[in-house]
Amino acid sequence: MPTLLLWGRERHHHLFTLCGVPGPLPFRSIRFRTAMTGRARVHARGRRRDTPPSEPAQPEAVRGRPMPPVPRTDPPLSFADLVRRGTAAAQQPRQIQPRLQSLTGVRHVAEAGPPAGAEATSRPSGSSLHGILQARMLEQLPFPSPGNLPDPRIEPGSPALAEELQQASGSQGSLLRKRRDVGRDFQDFVVNTRQNLVHVRESTKGTEGSPVMLLSNHVRLKSHSQRHLYKYNVIYTPDIEDGSKREALLSELEKLLGNRCIYDGNSLLLPHSLGETKKEVVSKLKNEPVKITFELSRELQTTSPDCLRYYNILFRRMLQKMDLDQIGRNYYNKNKKTEFNEYRLEIWPGYVTSILPYETGLTLCADVSHKLLRMETAYDLISHTREKARGEDAKEKILRKLVGSSVLTKYNNRTYRVDDIIWEMSPSSTFTKSDGSEISFVDYYKERYGTVVTTLNQPLLITKGKWKKSRQDTPHQPIMLVPELCHLTGLTDDMRKDSRMMGDLSTHTRMDPDRRQHKLLTFMDSLRKNNAVQKELRDWNLELEEGFLSLSGRTLQDVRIRQGRRVFDNHKADWSRNTREVPLLRAVSLDHWLIVYTKGNYETALTLQQNLQRVTPRMGITVRNAKLLEAADTVQSYIRTLEKHASQKTQMVLCLLPTDNKEIYDGIKRYLCINYPIPSQCVLKRTLDRPKTPVTIATKIALQMNCKLGGALWKVDIGLQNAMFIGIDCFHDIERRRKSVAGFVASIDPDLTRWFSECIIQQSGQELVKGLTTCLYTALKLWCEQNSSPPHSVIVYRDGVGDGQLQALIDQEVKQMETYLENAYRGQKVRLTFIVVKKRINTRFFIEKDGGRLNNPSPGTVIDLKVTRTEWYDFFIVSQSVREGTGTVTPTHYNVIHDTLYLSPDAVQGLTYRLCHMYYNFSGIIRVPAPCHYAHKLAYLVGQSLHQQPHGSLSKSLFYL
Amino acid sequence: VEEDNMECNSVVDGNVEEVPSKKVIKFNPPLYKQRYQFVKNLVEQHQPKKVADLGCGDVCLLAILKYQKCIEELVGVDINEGRLKWNGSRLSPCVGDHLDPRELDLAITLYHGSVLEKDCRLLGFDLAACIELIEHFDSEDLAKFPEVVFGYMSPAMIVISTPNSEFNSLFPCAVFRDSDHKFEWSRMQFQTWALDVASRYNYSVEFTGVGEPPTGAEDVGYCTQIGVFRKKAEAAEMAVLEHHGEHVYEVVYTTSYPSLQQINYRRRVVIYLVYREVSRLRRKYQVSLRQDELEAEFIASGNQTGKFTSDLPVPVLTDDDKAMEMAPQPFCIEDKFYVPLQRIIAYPRLGHLCGNVEKLREFLGDMIELNCDGSAVKVDLNDCSDF
Repeated sequence: MPTLLLWGRERHHHLFTLCGVPGPLPFRSIRFRTAMTGRARVHARGRRRDTPPSEPAQPEAVRGRPMPPVPRTDPPLSFADLVRRGTAAAQQPRQIQPRLQSLTGVRHVAEAGPPAGAEATSRPSGSSLHGILQARMLEQLPFPSPGNLPDPRIEPGSPALAEELQQASGSQGSLLRKRRDVGRDFQDFVVNTRQNLVHVRESTKGTEGSPVMLLSNHVRLKSHSQRHLYKYNVIYTPDIEDGSKREALLSELEKLLGNRCIYDGNSLLLPHSLGETKKEVVSKLKNEPVKITFELSRELQTTSPDCLRYYNILFRRMLQKMDLDQIGRNYYNKNKKTEFNEYRLEIWPGYVTSILPYETGLTLCADVSHKLLRMETAYDLISHTREKARGEDAKEKILRKLVGSSVLTKYNNRTYRVDDIIWEMSPSSTFTKSDGSEISFVDYYKERYGTVVTTLNQPLLITKGKWKKSRQDTPHQPIMLVPELCHLTGLTDDMRKDSRMMGDLSTHTRMDPDRRQHKLLTFMDSLRKNNAVQKELRDWNLELEEGFLSLSGRTLQDVRIRQGRRVFDNHKADWSRNTREVPLLRAVSLDHWLIVYTKGNYETALTLQQNLQRVTPRMGITVRNAKLLEAADTVQSYIRTLEKHASQKTQMVLCLLPTDNKEIYDGIKRYLCINYPIPSQCVLKRTLDRPKTPVTIATKIALQMNCKLGGALWKVDIGLQNAMFIGIDCFHDIERRRKSVAGFVASIDPDLTRWFSECIIQQSGQELVKGLTTCLYTALKLWCEQNSSPPHSVIVYRDGVGDGQLQALIDQEVKQMETYLENAYRGQKVRLTFIVVKKRINTRFFIEKDGGRLNNPSPGTVIDLKVTRTEWYDFFIVSQSVREGTGTVTPTHYNVIHDTLYLSPDAVQGLTYRLCHMYYNFSGIIRVPAPCHYAHKLAYLVGQSLHQQPHGSLSKSLFYL
Repeated sequence: VEEDNMECNSVVDGNVEEVPSKKVIKFNPPLYKQRYQFVKNLVEQHQPKKVADLGCGDVCLLAILKYQKCIEELVGVDINEGRLKWNGSRLSPCVGDHLDPRELDLAITLYHGSVLEKDCRLLGFDLAACIELIEHFDSEDLAKFPEVVFGYMSPAMIVISTPNSEFNSLFPCAVFRDSDHKFEWSRMQFQTWALDVASRYNYSVEFTGVGEPPTGAEDVGYCTQIGVFRKKAEAAEMAVLEHHGEHVYEVVYTTSYPSLQQINYRRRVVIYLVYREVSRLRRKYQVSLRQDELEAEFIASGNQTGKFTSDLPVPVLTDDDKAMEMAPQPFCIEDKFYVPLQRIIAYPRLGHLCGNVEKLREFLGDMIELNCDGSAVKVDLNDCSDF
């Protein structure tokens, strides 16, 4: 049986060592978010060939804590810079083009590694399609929002997918030149946030609601052994950078190590001791002697969280034994692929797995995943975009389509994110190989892989390698790729717009609970039947329990919606019918407003106005006649029209857009949010043309406009007096590497009908928000203006942070707010509850119906045991509603990391669920609390379209809906 | 840096501080890479279909050879089972191999076993490589070796490399290059042995090597000496493939690659290429329509001089493109766009994959719509499913 266990991956490197970087590269120490992936550990080992091998090891870090960042000098020049500017300009770093500057941009987030795979990628649940369509119907953005709501039908699209790919494999081949953490003791640690929460020390479990038995997608991983495992750090002298060589050296040491050990690239887990705390061995690598030192790091219990990383590596190895192929982070089954010849793509089914410690002990969480692979190459895309585009915008179009997307190189098994295109280079350009010789790309591929590059007239793609939004950055050298050899992966926006194709694909990827569970059971069964897998497990005294973990959840009571004098239940999680029959909670009449339409659409505009006037009286809104204005379909023309006709009195501008054009949408929004702040509503003509639904659509538009004007639709009894609710979310423009935008939204009335919003624009990729104090100050000031006294408490819902950032979150954001709140009002402390919201999780829950069929749990189901963690005050809520047979709901995970309000589990769970009813753009329950989603919408609008702070006068309206 | 130390392999608890790192002679590229390159060149030159690496170790050579288009069967044999298991997955096809399959089938198998044992699965090979192998044999094993490899396996070509002990004088200490080496031969010793073996088993042999000696010491010869053995014609004729026989080796790893020989892969590639070609032609057609419109506008607006041109570099016409000029042109009837199969088949790659129009039609099956007499691909002119 195998000697050493490794994470498996094709390692046919094609590392271009690119020369021309002046001076040694500065670097920072990095804390990796590795946990389950030994892979990351391998990147962690930098490949600094220019570093003397005798470089001393970094001092042993404080165990389990991130190393303090080493101050860095100027950002280095990337190869691309040099290429672009010509080597002569190498001494003038200021000339770097903005895009590339951002490529090498400095990021400052110090971060700790999350526990094993906790922050896993989201799987398409294929659910709540109708809900999303409803929610999105009005503001048809050209680019679907990767928002809180799951993408309805398929594999997460370019941003999400790209991120996933990146996360997984982006950098394996890349020339990451990071300092090696030689012999450093990596420890996966989970921030114990619960220890400071005195009120939940005993229990984090609630009692309210009616109990319901649920089935999860976790399988218990049992260990029978009481014996210890031994963890050794492995140090090579001279240092070996190539991960496969490091492993190969260990493979020679079977006599010493035995045939059971798990190696993560830096350290080794052994079931037996080597006898000494420090063991040195000399081995040979291609006739070069290498000293290998094994240093005992610690003895571990088989169930210790420290073992998790190794178990995850072990598990990856087992998946490989089952003939699954690793693509990116997960494993896929080529034998069960589905080909879509018509679309030149295929879908490989696969699995997302992670082993994590929960209250019940170690469990294996498994979910179904699909990988979309395309026959088309990046060159196909370049050439057809070029052919279709007229004139000079071709390059821009190609850039827009390609930059940010993930490509899979056909000669090795790597995925890269495209960061830029170098038009000045071609496959006949040369680069310097690691041995110092110059070779052209054409010759290199011919020589190395026998691959012939047929088109010489193509630019090169440039990839910066790993870029993770939440990770602090290190400079690394870009890699150049030949478009012809890069397969496109994932869905593009254009593909998403093709409803026929999406329909075809979704029938394969969308899974209702029954089908999903069936797939998972088949998977578990094949694991159990595979002898090699079983032997591995036995070798480590591990056993996968039969059947999925069942647990009990509680379904909370339906939430009552109050709209004026009417009260109704959230029947089937959708109260859109009820809404339009009754006067709204706070209707704002529309007296002065404009409708801008384009040539030939006067009729449509008029009909829309009539329809609005028809549906609004019942809601209590008075809609006067609008000024109908015709404009040409260009940004300039829209702005000219608005400049001419909009006045101080104008309450609202409705733009009837003939096409789904991002530039125009952005242009209008920029003008009306920044230059001349008026709430605006864009409506796609296509939406209005749909037969049979004009009344429904007019209703939706009326509701949305009412919200933007400062009206309120309904309210719910939140159950907490005098509390301000805050939502924070960040938007990262991964594709364009623009600055990141943090959206901050705070309720400024006790009924949660008025919201203050502000944006913080920060460094590209920075997740943690600085400057929250200012936001908080303004929000509290507005609160006090509205209400006589300051709020008793502030409850923050924070979206978009991984488990690995919890400590940093506590140290930065929580601290900022807590410090401010302590001193804000003399003598009266405003209490603070800080809740981290996580949407992208792999945990699923099913409910067993009569006859054994599985179903989605109903909205309001809370799970706070067994699959929650002992170190946290956390729980899951299913707040999504899905039509039967369309998909599986994804629960949302909540983690209370700070709470001086001492909310009981019941209180915080109920509160959170009720907040999911307060999003005004959708008459139903959404996946996250309303403030979170408002913050998301705001950050998205600013990040995608405005790129600037919106005008302050809009800050009290929901203009971003 | 190569061959510059006399350290023993895997000396457990050796005095590690004393690891010599004196660099006497450097080879660039490293010598082991030169050896692999030598075999690779040999493969490129002789285009063998079946290649075996005897004593394949960490499968490095196989990993290089798997990119060779001519090879259809690749076998590695080694006595170190652990290393084979460890490294086997390096040889597995990757996703790219599925998306863009190779022309010929390729099966790779790793056997755990000794080169000194006969296994009928090693019969009928075109090339067997024994890179740095024989010096690990003691005299008894060395005596058995020719009988098995030359006599039994009897591949058309055998390449044997071994250290040249004369070169050792350039190294600091005069010991064997590896602790497991049982001997290191001078050129004379190796050639004597090789000539004897060759004549016994009816092979011819040529001597060469890799690792040029430094200037001033040319007389020591290559650092690694290589003998390339070729079976003589009459012997080749006599060779009877006896595929029945014992299976002694244990299969440690086996994989096979997707290829265009497999009908499903071939069909997929054909469809992809047809789609690509058809949409390219359609785009060209659309652009030309637009160009006409624009020109018409120019003329209408009284602008006689300005001709609308795109400032993008015009793709250079290749010979293939010129050949395509001769093929039947695509045409348009109402809102449908047609590309004659004759034209598609004229596209060299598709011509190669399909052979003739009938075959092409068969491949397209019901995946792509044809016109009523089945002579052209029919698509919507304005359907823009170019992603």
